[in-house]
Amino acid sequence: MIKRKTLYSFLLLLIGFTFSLQAQVSFDAKVSKKRLGLNERLRIDFIMNENGDNFIPPDFNNFLVVSGPQQSVNRSWVNGVSSFSKTYTYFLTPKSKGILRIGQAQITINGEVYKTSPVEVQVTEAVKKPNDPDNIDYLTDENIHLIAEISNNSPYLNEGISVVYKLYFRNPISINDVQELESPTYGDFWSSKINIGRIQVDPRGQYKGEPYNEVVWQKVVLYPQKSGKLTIEPLTLNLQLSVPSNRRDLFGRRILKQGQKTITSGRRTLNVKPLPTSGQPENFTGAVGQFDFDVILSKDALKASESFQAKIKVSGKGNLNLFQLPEINVPNTLEVYEPERKETIKTTLSGTEGTVEENYTIVPQYQGKYPIPPVAFSYFDPKAKNYKTVRSQELLVDVYEGPTSGMTNTSPVPTSTRTPLTASEGAFRFIQLETDFKPVITKAFWMSKRFWLLFILPFVLLLLGYSINRFVIQKSKDSASNKQRLAEKLAKKYLSSAKKAFGNQVAFYEALERALHNYLKAKLKIETIELSKTKIAELLENKKVDKVIATEFIAVIENCERARYAPESEGSIQTDFEKASRAMAMIDRQL
Amino acid sequence: MKNKLTLYRYTRILLFYGVGLFLNLSNLYSQEGASSLFAEANKAYNEANYSDAVARYKQILAEGQHSAALYYNLGNAFYRLNQVAESIYFFEKAKQLDPENQDIQVNSLFAQNMTIDAIEPLPRSQLAQLQITLFDLFELDRWAQITLVLLWAFVFLFLGYLITQNSSHKRNFFFLSIAVFLLFIGTFSISYFKDRAAKQNKYAILFSKQIDTWSEPNQQGDLLFLLHEGTKVQLLDSLSEWQKIRIANGSEGWLKNAELRKLN
Repeated sequence: MIKRKTLYSFLLLLIGFTFSLQAQVSFDAKVSKKRLGLNERLRIDFIMNENGDNFIPPDFNNFLVVSGPQQSVNRSWVNGVSSFSKTYTYFLTPKSKGILRIGQAQITINGEVYKTSPVEVQVTEAVKKPNDPDNIDYLTDENIHLIAEISNNSPYLNEGISVVYKLYFRNPISINDVQELESPTYGDFWSSKINIGRIQVDPRGQYKGEPYNEVVWQKVVLYPQKSGKLTIEPLTLNLQLSVPSNRRDLFGRRILKQGQKTITSGRRTLNVKPLPTSGQPENFTGAVGQFDFDVILSKDALKASESFQAKIKVSGKGNLNLFQLPEINVPNTLEVYEPERKETIKTTLSGTEGTVEENYTIVPQYQGKYPIPPVAFSYFDPKAKNYKTVRSQELLVDVYEGPTSGMTNTSPVPTSTRTPLTASEGAFRFIQLETDFKPVITKAFWMSKRFWLLFILPFVLLLLGYSINRFVIQKSKDSASNKQRLAEKLAKKYLSSAKKAFGNQVAFYEALERALHNYLKAKLKIETIELSKTKIAELLENKKVDKVIATEFIAVIENCERARYAPESEGSIQTDFEKASRAMAMIDRQL
Repeated sequence: MKNKLTLYRYTRILLFYGVGLFLNLSNLYSQEGASSLFAEANKAYNEANYSDAVARYKQILAEGQHSAALYYNLGNAFYRLNQVAESIYFFEKAKQLDPENQDIQVNSLFAQNMTIDAIEPLPRSQLAQLQITLFDLFELDRWAQITLVLLWAFVFLFLGYLITQNSSHKRNFFFLSIAVFLLFIGTFSISYFKDRAAKQNKYAILFSKQIDTWSEPNQQGDLLFLLHEGTKVQLLDSLSEWQKIRIANGSEGWLKNAELRKLN
């Protein structure tokens, strides 16, 4: 039983302990006062005794959040008892009179959601003297201001603007220490901080017409890199303050109360205008400001293979290191090296100013004259609100000594070891003094009428010559055949008497022999003398008649002599006649 | 034998007179006025009055007279005046009339040096190079004259072949005439192709200071490259204010409202 009792009591104790643990979690909203004037402030603390997250503040509809949430954690361990509290604090100013309600705040502790009960406060007419003038918050709100001064709220893209953060404070507050909690970030800007050195207090500053101590905390020059609405994140400072309290010390002096104050400059929004697109020059590379531009040559007359510098220089005020300088464009035979960039830029509140130079080293290879064409530089002038283009002068470089370009390429200079090209040979040549002029407009001879005439003519001539030639040869051939015909006629004439005596053998041979003799006499143009056979043979040989033909001829004559005394047959008469006429024809052709 | 000798003599005389006729006819027009102007201009050039010299040289051109030396001197004067495009233009004109002149070659290179663009010409095959040297040996009309002289020579040689009775002379005449005929065919085709090339390939010098080259004859095309004054371009097609060109490295593109001066 006892055992059982003790077990129960232990269980009860355990349960009670857990309950007591549960009951210990508290989450409350506490207001500093339930009743306040319209111009007074209300402090509200959300206190919890266990660590929780996901704090959701109530909707302060009827209030203006002056500051907060400020989070504070308090943990103590006294006599073995730990205590923990975490507080979110807001300072509020009421917006209107009447009974105002502050809604529920919410927190998650150990996985459970806790809510505060809503609080109602009564807001009365503004009180003449706000309560508790010695309250630090009240004092600081009145007497400390952090201001971001922006030179131009709607700049052009890439137009420089300056932001100056100034801290104003006045009696009775004195600042012991300043800590920068949150530095402003300039995401869409090119920024350059201006070094201000040691922070100094200017006691003659003015804020809203009233004398204040002024501290310039930071100076920045910004170049917006984007158009549209850009925000500048706020600067937040944590100040260690000394505020005089009501209490006085032994000597009647007020005792200074230490306090802390977080102050922020507030978020600022800029409206950045894009650069106008109309009238934007083609070579515009983003320069905005007021600039001077020039191209300067270090020399304008030199020898080949010496070098000179071409300096492209932009000076003035604007986004000097945010744009590209125009490139120099030189004749192709000049060797140009990568430019060397030199910047002498000073950043002041009115923007960056100075000069940016690009130095090109150029080495001419050949002699000649080299024009450096004008280089154009365009920028946008935000003051005049238009684009401006500056052109450099056209410059000329005279390279007076050195090899001539391309000589080896175009004209085959005989292997240079033998005849080296001297300077005079490679120099620019003088004009030619002698010439024969021709009319500019000449009818081309090629394919002209005259050309074709002279072209056709030889063919005609050829044809003519050929035909004449043919005709002449034909004629001579014809005359030869005439002679033949004459000889045949002659032979026939002599032979005809022989032919008549065909029946009478003796008469036939006598006639034949006579015909042969007569023919020879006529042919060889000899007088009638007795023609012996040997004489005939000799004559024929003299006339270079073929031997065979000559013997045949003589054979016919022999035949004739023989047949006169020895009768022959009818048939031999016929053959002899033919032989004779053939021999005549043969001789005729030979003579 | 006597006959043949006279034939030779006649042929020779005819040939000489023929060539002489061609050569001299065109020169008959050369004028005294042009020569004196030329001398004055040369004097002005020598006294460094280049613009004066240019004016005088141009006056000769206005009178309808020209010569390689005139164009060459004009190119020199413009070079002295630092006018790149003009200088190159006249040197190119001079080269057309006298392709092998050394003075023109050298000073033309000086003018080329003044241009901004470095255009590497396409390498030519040796055959193409040979062809160009052969074609440039004479002007077109000179080639035509040579063609005709060869034709006449052939005809006379062939007639000689026909007329002579002696067989060995006949053979010589025949082979000689065939050789001359082949030469004639060669020079005729050179003249023909040279003429055709000149008619097809039109060149011009760019006078615009700086101009964009586009891939298409409209602004939607791609921007290809930038040309500067003094560039020699070959003219291809044209479409309203657009002109298609090819430069020495083989690149082609369209120019808008380009200031071009034709070379031929």
